[in-house]
Amino acid sequence: MPEPRTDVAAFDAVVVGAGPAGASAALALARAGRSVVLVERGPFPGSKNVYGGVVYGRVLDGIIPGWWDEVPVERWVVRRSTVMMTGTQSLSVDFRTDAWGAAPYNGMTTLRSHFDAWLAGKATEAGARLVTSTVATGLVRDGAGRVVGVRTDRDGAELHAPVVIACDGVNSFLAKEAGLLSRAEASHHTLGVKEVLDLPPGAINERFGVQDHEGVDMEILGCTRDIPGGGFLYTNADSVSIGVVLSLPQLAASGVRPEELVADLKAHPTIAPLLRGLTLREYSAHLIPEGGYDTMPALAADGLLIAGDAGAMTLAAGLWLEGVNFAIGSGYAAGQAVDRALTAGDCTARGLASYRADLEGQFVLADHKRLRKAPSLVLSDRVQQRYPGLLCDLAEGMFTVTNPTPKAGGLKVTRAAAARHGVTLRQLAGDTLRGLRIFG
Amino acid sequence: MTGPNVSPVVAAPDDSAAGPLVVACLRITDLRATVDPLDGSISRDPLGVGLSPADAAGLEQALRMAESWDGRVVAVAVGPESIDPILRDVAALGVTVVRVPSAHDSDGHRYVAELAEDEHGLAETVLAAVRPFGRPVLVVCGDRSVDRGTGALPAFLAHELGAAQALGLVALRSDGPEAVVVERRLDAGWRERLRVLLPAVCSVEGAGVRLRRASLAGALAVADAAVPVDRSTGRTAAGSAAGTGVLHIGATRPYAPRTRVIPAPEGHDPRLRLLALTGALVAHDPPTVVHPADAAEAADVLLSFLARHGYIDAEDVAPEAGAP
Amino acid sequence: MSGPAPGRSPWDGISFEERMATVDFRVGARAHIAVDAEVCRSCTTKACVSACPANLFAPTSDGGILFNYEECFECGTCYMVCDSEGAITWTYPDGGHGVVFHHG
Ligand SMILES: Cc1cc2nc3c(=O)[nH]c(=O)nc-3n(C[C@H](O)[C@H](O)[C@H](O)COP(=O)(O)OP(=O)(O)OC[C@H]3O[C@@H](n4cnc5c(N)ncnc54)[C@H](O)[C@@H]3O)c2cc1C
Ligand code: SF4
Ligand code: SF4
Repeated sequence: MPEPRTDVAAFDAVVVGAGPAGASAALALARAGRSVVLVERGPFPGSKNVYGGVVYGRVLDGIIPGWWDEVPVERWVVRRSTVMMTGTQSLSVDFRTDAWGAAPYNGMTTLRSHFDAWLAGKATEAGARLVTSTVATGLVRDGAGRVVGVRTDRDGAELHAPVVIACDGVNSFLAKEAGLLSRAEASHHTLGVKEVLDLPPGAINERFGVQDHEGVDMEILGCTRDIPGGGFLYTNADSVSIGVVLSLPQLAASGVRPEELVADLKAHPTIAPLLRGLTLREYSAHLIPEGGYDTMPALAADGLLIAGDAGAMTLAAGLWLEGVNFAIGSGYAAGQAVDRALTAGDCTARGLASYRADLEGQFVLADHKRLRKAPSLVLSDRVQQRYPGLLCDLAEGMFTVTNPTPKAGGLKVTRAAAARHGVTLRQLAGDTLRGLRIFG
Repeated sequence: MTGPNVSPVVAAPDDSAAGPLVVACLRITDLRATVDPLDGSISRDPLGVGLSPADAAGLEQALRMAESWDGRVVAVAVGPESIDPILRDVAALGVTVVRVPSAHDSDGHRYVAELAEDEHGLAETVLAAVRPFGRPVLVVCGDRSVDRGTGALPAFLAHELGAAQALGLVALRSDGPEAVVVERRLDAGWRERLRVLLPAVCSVEGAGVRLRRASLAGALAVADAAVPVDRSTGRTAAGSAAGTGVLHIGATRPYAPRTRVIPAPEGHDPRLRLLALTGALVAHDPPTVVHPADAAEAADVLLSFLARHGYIDAEDVAPEAGAP
Repeated sequence: MSGPAPGRSPWDGISFEERMATVDFRVGARAHIAVDAEVCRSCTTKACVSACPANLFAPTSDGGILFNYEECFECGTCYMVCDSEGAITWTYPDGGHGVVFHHG
C-alpha cells in the first residue's frame, strides 16, 4: 500500500461535478480567463447522470448563441401532453405547436451522456481542465476554516484554489460537509426510475403522430398508486424514455418496488398501445431534490458556492420536471460570481454573495419563488389521489353519450364527480385558485 | 509505488537511452458490444469502450516489468478516434501511447474483417507503429478480446519479431535482463512455470492483477493532451487507396476445410437409412492415442489424419521443399 | 400491498436479472457501500429492501440484511430511507468505477 500522497495542484477555481451546473460554471470561469479544473467522478461527463429527458434550451441562448445548431439533440419537442389517469381512465391535455419545431425551439429530448459531454466540451474548449474518473472526497480548509480546495481519491492528492464550486448533484457530500445541506432528508427527495425502450424512428413517428426530429413530452399524474409522484414519457430519436418519480418516504412505507410502478404505467390502457412489443435498452435510477424555494439551502460559505441539484434547484413536482436549465443558469452565474470575487480579492461568503442576488434576479430563483408552493400542492393528497380520478370522471360524465336522457349540466356532473372522490367544491375552487396563483 | 521511468508524455518517440522497451498491445473496444442474432452484425457504442480485464491486466504487467528493468512502456492500439479518452487514461499512468487509426468504425463488416481475417496485417501494423520507439524486449497482450478476436495476434507478433511466445499467463516476473518467468494454468489446479528468453510476446489472463490508478498529477497532465496518431505505416490492401495512413486490411478468406461427401444411403426404411448415415451399428476403429515427441511430430500426425480422412489434399501435407 | 416475488417482475416478461443486465457496471475492487447487518436485525421497517431500485438488499432469515454492492446505481435512496444510525456506510465508488449510464 503506497503512502497517501498529498500532491497539490493549484488553480483559480475548482469545480466539482461535470453535470450541467459544473460544466457551465467552468465555462464561465474559463471564458473569464481563469484557470479552472473540472473534476468528475465518472469516466466521462454524463456517465453518472439520469434524468427524464427534456432540456429546455432558453437558458442557453445567452451562453452559447446558436446552440441548437450543434447540440446533440434526439428530438425537438413539439407536443406536450399533460395526462391525468386512474387505473382505467385518462384525461390528456394535449398542446402542440409548430413554433417549437423550429429555431429557437423550446425543449429537446437528449441523453445525458451526449448532452453533458457536449457542455463539458464547451468548457474545455474555452480552456478548462477536465479530470474524469476522479472523486472529490472532501473539502480542504485553511486555518481560518475557509474552503481552499478539495481532496481527491487519487492517492489523496489535493486540488487547491481560493474557491470551490460544488456542482456535485443531489447527494452533494461537499454541501453536506460544509453544513449547507442536511445529511439525509428523505422527505425532500424523490426517486426517479426510468426505462429506455427501443423503438425505430419510423414507428415513433407513427405511434406518436410526429415527423422526423419532432418529439413528444408527456407528464403524467395519478399513475403512482398512493405514492405521491408522477410519471413521464419522452420520445428520443430511436427510443422512448418512460419512468416515474416517487416521493421517498411514502415509497419506502408502501413496500412497492419502483420498477413495479413503471410496469403499472406501461400497462395502462392509454400507454400500453404506444409501447407494445418494445425491448428494454437500459434501466436506470437517480434521486431528485424536491424541496422548492422554501427548502433551498444557503448557497455560499467561505470559499464555497453550490449550484444546480447540490443547491436543490430542481423543479420536479409531478407535472414539472426541470433542473438542467436551472443547473446551467445557476452554474454559469456561480462561475461569474467567482470571477468577480477573485477580481475583488474576497472569496468569503460575503464576497460571493452577489451569486444569490444574481439568481434572485434571474429566472432560476425567480421561477422557484413563483412556484414555491408547487411541490407541496402537486404532491398534496388531494392533487395526487383525488383530482386525477375526479377529472377523469368529469370528462367521462361530459363525454359519455347518454341519449335519450338529456346531458347533465356541467355543475351537476362536477358535484357528482367531486363527491365521489371526497373533494368538496370548495376545496376544488381553492386549489384551482392556488394553482392559478402558483402556475398562472 | 513509483511509476515507470518516464514522464507522462503522450507524444514523441523518445530516445532509446530510456531503457528497455515494453509494449502493451491494447484492443480498446466496446466491452458490451452486441451481435444481432439475425444478421450477425455487431453494434458498438463508443460510450462503452474500455480496457478489457485481460488488456488491463496486460498493461499492469507491462508497467511492472518496465519498472523492474528501469524501462519504459509504449501502449499501442488500433482503432477509431472514439478510443482516445481511454488512451488518455493510459497515458496518465506515465505510458507513451500511440493509436493507429482504422477505417472500420462505421462499417460493421470491415470491423469483422479486421478482427478475424488479417491478423497478420494487424501485427505488422502494430509493430510498425512501435518501431520509432525502439525494439521491444517484451510485448504484452490480453489473452482474449471481448469482441471475439481470433487470439492469433500474439503469434503473429512473435513471428514478426522473431521472439519467443508464451500465452494465457496468470503471472509474470522478470528474471534478470535476459528472461521472464511466467506461470500458466494447467488442468486440475496445477500451474506450469516457464522461463522465457527475451525478446518475448506474452498474453495474460484478466486475473491476478488489477490495473493501478493514475496519480492526480498524471491525470492533470493528460487532461487536454492529444493522442498521437500513427499515420506513417498504413498497410493497405491491394486496390485500396495507398498511402492514406489509415489501416485498411484486406479480406483474406479464412481457411475452411472442405466438407466430406457421403453417398446417400440405400433403401427406404428411415431407420435403416439413419443407421447407415450415422454408422451407429458399424464397427469402428478404436480411438488412436499417440504421444508425439515434439510439436513438429504432433502437427504431422494431425495433418496426416486430416489427409487420410479427406479433409485436406495429401499434397498439402507434403513436407516443405528443403525440409528434412 | 402486494409486492412482486423477489427478483421477478412477471408482468413485463423480463426478470430482474435481465433488467439489471441492461446496465453497464464497471465494478470496482472496493465495496463502496457497507451495511451493518447487526443494526438491521433490530430494524422494523426494512425500508431499504423494497425501495432500492437495484434490489440489492436481501433480508436474511435471522432478520439481518445481505448486501452486495456490485450492481448499484449510486442513487442514495437507501441511506435516505434508512432511519437507523450506522446501518449504512455510503460512499461513491472509486473514480471511474461503478455504474455508467449510456442513455441517462
Ligand atoms: C428521473 C429524473 C427526471 C428528470 N427529468 C428532467 C427533465 O426532463 N428536464 C430537466 O431539465 N431536468 C430533469 N431532471 C433534473 C435534472 O436531472 C437535474 O436537475 C440536473 O441534472 C442537475 O444538474 P447538476 O449539474 O446540478 O447535477 P448532476 O447532473 O447530478 O451532476 C452532478 C455531477 O457531479 C458528479 N459528482 C458528484 N459528486 C462528485 C464528487 N464527489 N466528485 C466528483 N464528481 C462528483 C456526478 O458524477 C455528476 O456528473 C430530472 C431528474 C431525474 C432524477
Ligand atoms: S439498512 Fe436501514 S432500513 Fe435497511 S434493514 Fe438495515 S436498518 Fe433497516
Ligand atoms: S445507492 Fe441506490 S441502487 Fe445503490 S444500494 Fe442504495 S438504493 Fe440501491
